[in-house]
This record gives sequence, structure tokens and C-alpha cells, in this order.
Amino acid sequence: MAPKRPPASKKTTDEPEVRIDALAPTFDLAAQIYAQLTKGEVPRMRLPLRTKQNIQFQLKEGVWRLGRGTGTRSARKLDGALMLLRTFYLVDFIHEMARDRKTSTLRELYYISEQWKDAKFHSEDESNLLIEDLEVLCTRLREDFRLHPEENGASVIGDLTLEETNRKGVVKRINCRDDVGDGGYALPFNVEKEKVKLRATNAKFVLAIECGGMVDRLAENGFDEAQDALLVHLKGQPARSTRRFLKRLNEELKLPVVVFTDGDPWSFRIFASVAYGAIKTAHISHYLATPGAEFLGVTASDIENYELPSDTLTDQDTRALHAMQTDPRFGTADWRSEIDLMLKNGKKAEQQSLAKYGLNYVTETYLPEKLAEMSVI
Amino acid sequence: MPRTATLAEQLAAKQREISVAEFFERNRQILGFDNPQRALLTAVKEAVDNALDAAEEAGVLPDVSVEISKDDSGPDRYRLVVSDNGPGILRRELPNVFGRLLYGSRFHAHRQSRGQQGIGISAAVLYAGLTTARAATITSKVEEEEAAHVLEVVVDTQRNLPKIVSERLDLWDRPHGTRVELVLKAKYLRGRQSPLEYLRGTAIVNPHARLVLVEPDGTRTTFERASTEVPAVSKEVLPHPYGLELGELAAILKQSKEKSLAEALPKRLAGVTPRALKEVLAQASLTGKEDPASVQGPGLERLLSALHSVSLLPPSGESLSPIGATLIKRGLRNVLGELRPDFYAPPVSRPPRIRGGSPFLVEVGLVYGGSLPPDQPIQLLRFANRVPLLFQQGACAITTAVESVDWRRYGLDQRGGQGLPTGPCIVLVHVASTRIPFTSESKEAIAEDPEVLKELQLALQATARHLKAHISRQIRRQYASEKFTIIRRILPQIAERTSHLLGKPVPDLAPVITEIMNVVTLETAAPETGPGLMVTITNYTPRARVLELFAEMPPELVSTLTGTPASDGTDPSLGRAWWTLPKLAPNGQTRMELRWPAGTDCDASDFDWYIAGVDESRLLGADALPGDWDVRLPRQVIEAAEAAEVASVGAGPAAEEEVDYDGAEKTAGLEEDD
Repeated sequence: MAPKRPPASKKTTDEPEVRIDALAPTFDLAAQIYAQLTKGEVPRMRLPLRTKQNIQFQLKEGVWRLGRGTGTRSARKLDGALMLLRTFYLVDFIHEMARDRKTSTLRELYYISEQWKDAKFHSEDESNLLIEDLEVLCTRLREDFRLHPEENGASVIGDLTLEETNRKGVVKRINCRDDVGDGGYALPFNVEKEKVKLRATNAKFVLAIECGGMVDRLAENGFDEAQDALLVHLKGQPARSTRRFLKRLNEELKLPVVVFTDGDPWSFRIFASVAYGAIKTAHISHYLATPGAEFLGVTASDIENYELPSDTLTDQDTRALHAMQTDPRFGTADWRSEIDLMLKNGKKAEQQSLAKYGLNYVTETYLPEKLAEMSVI
Repeated sequence: MPRTATLAEQLAAKQREISVAEFFERNRQILGFDNPQRALLTAVKEAVDNALDAAEEAGVLPDVSVEISKDDSGPDRYRLVVSDNGPGILRRELPNVFGRLLYGSRFHAHRQSRGQQGIGISAAVLYAGLTTARAATITSKVEEEEAAHVLEVVVDTQRNLPKIVSERLDLWDRPHGTRVELVLKAKYLRGRQSPLEYLRGTAIVNPHARLVLVEPDGTRTTFERASTEVPAVSKEVLPHPYGLELGELAAILKQSKEKSLAEALPKRLAGVTPRALKEVLAQASLTGKEDPASVQGPGLERLLSALHSVSLLPPSGESLSPIGATLIKRGLRNVLGELRPDFYAPPVSRPPRIRGGSPFLVEVGLVYGGSLPPDQPIQLLRFANRVPLLFQQGACAITTAVESVDWRRYGLDQRGGQGLPTGPCIVLVHVASTRIPFTSESKEAIAEDPEVLKELQLALQATARHLKAHISRQIRRQYASEKFTIIRRILPQIAERTSHLLGKPVPDLAPVITEIMNVVTLETAAPETGPGLMVTITNYTPRARVLELFAEMPPELVSTLTGTPASDGTDPSLGRAWWTLPKLAPNGQTRMELRWPAGTDCDASDFDWYIAGVDESRLLGADALPGDWDVRLPRQVIEAAEAAEVASVGAGPAAEEEVDYDGAEKTAGLEEDD
């Protein structure tokens, strides 16, 4: 299931043999279906289920990955037949891109399917899911299929020096504090070594932050310099590249990763996807998740202890919390009690609610207290 | 003591008769004049009901026009003009009909009519006078006379007598008819309880009437006639003893002119045959020679209980005028056609029953699907004696009956199996009776009588069973259409794409197709030209089949049909025709053409299809032969079915017990990545 190596670079001129390697498994898929058809069998494919019931903790890697549960995609049902047909339209398209040396964004692929008549996607979710299915079936990453997300612009601020090979093939040396504007260093979608090399840092830890407003606050207050922190903006649910970058900072530079989000169920899930691995990408958790990452807050008890301005949980929030009670990733005693407490109090709060005590409170009081508690500083 | 007597005298001095008109003047709500919006609707309703009743009695196809316009003589004043082509009203009756409450021809009659008490139209005249001090203008012409009488009338509330303000003769360009013009305080609103909805409902249950409404803004709506049959005039009948109360029986006997009880009973009551009479008298220990008026006390009670226990002729439905299944369907189609419902349930018209000596019957119609809203409570159309009931839905026995049916069993959503169900559905319920048990004089809701409730439930359930059959057919059709999409469009493309990718020839898909379908299908389509039906039967099973095909249709159609190939037999009395189809190999197909003469009232929905020779679970588009048909199948059909049965034992792949990947719960969406 696991990719054998990091994805190849996007540059279309080098390593043609890698392309053939990416296409080979797609021929196997076609051969499997063709054999079924000639035997008079109903076409079908077996796929691991990417559900919360089918993820298992991997001791060795410290992340949650896909279990053994599988489902069958069969042409007996209309939905299954359509997904099978789409699979081969998609495979055709990938072959076409390989021939023409092109790449495509996920969104472009969704629009490409307009030409697929019966097989066109009804939503971008549907096309993204099929690409993930293909990753699983072929044990490749979507970049191997020349498919990539749009640049998502998650940013890094702090004393980190790296080298990025830019579009023109020129290597740029960048310090993420001194050589960037107020927006910080924008992460490209490809953050692998051949594109981004991590060179040096004086930071002691990485603070991954959910909201842009909080990143701005910390930067303006000079928190990165005062506490030797590297600030990484998650931009909500973090993109694959952001998670991969956090993992590299942690593994290569040995920086502890601390996650600072809003205090609500959706933010807890953001943390889970950083630290444990997301369910949708459980087939590549070992490649994206940072097992040592820790949750700083805002916790349910922070809302009480710091008397933060809060909102009442909506029905959706409550449903999300209940769903998390059966999510094995939140099965630890700590998470259980955190979820129970939030349900009991019925309250959620935003990171920026800390401004109740003034603009400096978060950098002078809240974060130092919490980080000391976690023995990060 | 003297003081008490004085007080009593004082009180007695204040006692005096209250005129009926005065009473209603103070209790307008009882008659439906409690607010200006409702008053307008009630006035429309009373005038239209009278017009329809009169036309029916005269055997005329009713043509009724309702015009509502703003009247400038004062605020909130509207002018209402209702005219009809009925027989007209004689001059001598005109003042009383419109200017006197409780004056009518129908109150004492044991037969079904819209108006009963004779309060309605005169109450509207009274209301108009009270709110605008304007007299009603009545124009009426009977066929025998040259000119129409035009009267201005008000109700003298003190004496409950009509007062004629002016009178003249006028020429009218129609042979006969009546026109009522009122100016009244009113409010014109659209919506559920509006004159438009009232006329729409009226048009559904009176498909023989042509109704026109002109609204204050000039909008003109016409409900054209959908039938030219004048409903049979209901006959006056005698009260039936079943459900008769003691006091009613006493009154009947007292009024009888016969000399003896034995003479009086068969003449004054329905259903008492000579044999029944003997039994009744014997059981009641009466000789039959008694003077009817003298039968009282214990004798009367014995007589009543004997009448209730002896078996009498069942009550006659002649006094009732049911709409009938055909016309309910036609009325619904005519008025609701624009909603394009995809199903009209065969309407149910129950036989007459007796309640309190009066016969009643229940009719139910139902439409489903089309552009009706799927997520709203169903729309309930209530009718009593062909009159739409627009108010007090919650207090009505019809509503109670609808809510007490567990509609979930019949394919509609219903919270907890109670209350109004939800779904794209309109249910029509009509209660007809010589005496409808209304909850109040405004005649907007039917009282919850146990007998009536029971009949309502039976009729609703019978209709709901048709609905259920339709919904399950629809689900199967959906299932079938998905399967056809797979085998006709998706599968060939999968084969083509994979073959192309591998540079191999496209494989023969026939075995996969029978594997996916594993059914025998029947499809119908309109022929390219002319009236008729093309029927295609395909054997999508992996075995060869010989099939017997049956068509069931309205019996009168059987003789007009031409089949190609010709049927192997017909039963015109049951409305059936059948064919033994040629042997069909896997993926084998056969076609058949049915033709009927142009102008026949017939379409695909008139046919039900049944197929024998294959298991019920392997049929799409047709049903298995009903067990009670008792048909002897041709030998080759049975043999082929047995052979297919033997061949499939142990063959074929085991059912896939795997999780359907595309049907599995998706956690994605809750947790977006990028």
C-alpha cells in the first residue's frame, strides 16, 4: 500500500522511466477487469475501506493506518459501475498527460470529466475520492499520476533557512524570518527534498496554528523571536504538503511540533490529522503524520480556566463530538475526558477569544503557561 | 313569599320569543360569517351550492359564474354576483328563499342534497344587510315566463320574514336561471381557504359542472366540464329503522295516517318486508292492529328493539348520489392535471351504510407523484355531499380517519405512524348522506361518528393499498432502469476502455449481462404511429425460457384489441388476454404489438402485465401470476421452467456477501484534507 519512495519532481523533462513505473499498475487494473469480462464475471475491484472502523494504530510508525477491512466496487450496482468506468477514464487521462508531459490540478481534472459523458463527476469530492482510490490500488501518490492540488499558500514564519528550487530551476536560499515579507514563506504543494531542502534553524519548537489572525498576532508580538518558535499556519484543515512539511521539520530538524487551534470538535480533528493521520489519507499516514505532535489548546478546560468568551455548541458540533467518541484515534483517556467535558459544558471558543485580556495576553501569559506545562519551554 | 312571586312575575315579563333571525344575527360564527374573509367565502359557497342543487334537480348541466369585485360605496365592501342556468324560482317563493331563515324544501326530505336546513343563502342576505345596509338583488326566471323577476330583498330580523324593497320585471337573455347580487363587508384573500380553492374543489367532485370565477383583480378562472352526465337525481326514501332513536320512531308513528301499526310500519319505514313485519310484531308482542299513534312506553321500546334485531332489507342507496369511481378520476384529472401526478389510484366508492336511520356512503380518491411536493404533509380534500369543506380540518372525522391509518405501511412517511402523512400526495374524501352529521351549523366538519369513522378507514385503506402497489412498482422500475443503464451504457464502455488500453479485442458481454440482470423484463412503449402499445419481453437470465404472458385490462377493451401476434385466448368477462411466447434463449427478445381503434379511452396505464414460467423475483416490469387466478399453464412453459430450475441448482456464483465499497459509510467530508 505504501509508496516506495517520495513522489518524483514535477519537472517534466527528467526521469522518464519513473513515469512508466507510475503507469504500470494502471495496466494491471485494466487487465484484472478485462479478465473478469472474458470469463463472464461481473467486473469488480476490491478496495480497503477508508472508514474510522478500518484504521489501526501502527506501533512502529506511531500513526493510524488502514486496517484489513475491504469493500467491493462492483458493476452490479449503478454507483459501482460508474466508478469503475470513471477509473478507466481517469487512467486514460493520466496516460495522455504522461504522453504530452503535462500535469493537472485536482480541480482541472474535475472539469476534464465534463468530456466523460455518463462518467462525469457530480462533485469535486467524488473526483478526489477516486484519485485516492487509485493511489491505494496502485500504491502510488497522486503526484506520480501528474495530479496535484492548487497551491494552498500555507505559510511559515521564523528562523528557518531552506533552499527551494523554483520554477525556473534556480536554487533560492531563503530564511523564513529575514528573507520574506509579512506573509511569511509560502509552502509549495511539493515540499519533498528535491524541491525544498531544510538547511538550518535556531528554533526550539514548531507552533502549528489554525487561524491566520493568530499567526499575525504572534508575528506582530515577535513571539517567534522571543520564544525561538517556528510558526506554521495550518489554514484550517491542513493540506498534505503542510502535514508533510511538519513531519520533515520534526524528523530532520528534530523540532517538537505543538498544535494550537480553536477549541471545538473540528479543531480537534485538525490536530488528529497532523498527529495521528487523517482517515481519508490513512493509506499514507506514515508519510504525512507527525506522531510526536502535541495538542496545546484551546482545550475544553482552557475555556473554563481562562474564562474565555464562548459560543454554544451547535447540533452539528455535538454530532461531531459523538462521532469522535467512536473514533479510535480519540480513544485515549485524555481525549475521552476532553470530549466529555466539552459535551458537558456545551461550549466552544476561538483562539482569538484570548484577546479578551488584551493583545499581548496570548504571547505573554497563555502560551508561555501552556508551553511550560508541556515542558516545551 | 309575596316578594318571590313578584320577582318571578318581573322575570316573566322580560321573557319573550327570540326570532331565529335575531339569534343568528348575534351568533354569526355558527353560520360561518364570523370574519370578513370567511363571510365572503360562505356567501359564495351558499349561492353556488344552491345553484348546483337546483340544476341537478332539474336535470340541467350546471353553468355557474361567480364574480367578486370591489364595491366603492364603503371600505372593505365587495360585490358578489352568482348566476346559474338552473330552473329558476317561482315568484311566490322568491322572498322566502332569500329573505327568511330556515325556509327550505330539503330539510324534511330523506335524500342527499348540498343544502339542508335552508339557512345558508338567506343568512348571506342577512349578513349583507347587517354590514352594508344594502338589500340583495335577486333575479330569477323560470322557463314558462317571458320575463325575469327582479326583487330587492332584506331580512326582517324581528319577524324572520322577508321584506321586499323593490320589485320589477326585466328581460333576461337566458331561458331560465337565477342571479343573486349582494354587497357585503368582506376581505378577499387567496390561499387554502379562498373562493378559488372552494371552486376548484367543487369542480373536482362535480365534473358535470362548468364553473367560472372572476376575482376582484379581474383574473378569470374557468373550470370546464369534464363530463356531460347529469348525476342521477337522488330519490327520496323512507327512514331506515337501523340506528333510529326512540323519539324519532315515536314521531314517525304519530304522524302516520295509517289506521294500524301493521299498515304503518312498511309504509313509513324502509326495509320492512311482510316477513320482517311478522317477525317484528311477534318479537315486540304486538298484534299489528294497534293505532300507530297509540304505541308508546314499553310497547314502543319493544318495537324499536325488535326493529333493530330482526333482519330487514338493507338500506337503499337510492337516496344518495355518489360521484362514482369513474367521475372521481375524471374530476381529479381535469382539475389537477397541471400537477402531472404520475398515479391516479382507482377511486374507492363504498356501499351505503346506515347511521341514525339515514344512509351514508364514503368515497376516496388519491393522486400521487408528479410535481406534488414530496416533503410536505399530504393535501387532504374533504367533501360532504359534493361540497368542499375548507375549515376546521382538525375537528373533522375525515381528518381523524386519515390520521389513524398507518400510512408507513403503504409507502408514505408518517411520524410515529400517526397524524397526517408526508408525501407527494392528494387524498380526496367524500361523505354522502341524507343527513351528514356535521359538528356545527356552519357545516365545515363531520362529527366523529363510529360508523362513519369505520367506513372512512376501510375506504382509505383500500385506496392506500393501490398506492402501495404503485410505489413498489415505481421502486422496481427505478431498479430496472438502473440495471438497464449499467448493461446498455456503462458496461460496454468499461469493456471498450479496458480493451483499448490493453490493445485487445472487446469481449462478448452477453454472459456478463445475464449475470448482472438475471431477470425477465417487460417494457412497454407507444408505437411510432397511431394508438396502441408495443410490448418487449427480454430474457436476461442465463437459462432458456418459455413464458406465458397475461394482460389484464378493463373488460370492455378486450373485444376492441388486435394483437400481433394474436393472443392464444381471451376472457372478455374478466378482461384478460394471454399469449404463449416463443422460446427465449439467454438475452433472447420477443416483441408484440397491441392496437385499438382511434378514439378509444385507453392508454398503457390501463394494462397490468403478468408472466408465468419464471420465478417472481426474476421479473421486472410484470408481476407473477396471482395465485387465485387458477390458470392451467401450457405444458412447454412448465417444462422449460423446471429445466431452468434444475440447471440453476448449484450453478451461478454465490451472492456477494462483501461490503459494497460505494455504499459504505464515508467519513470523508467530515474531515477534509486538501
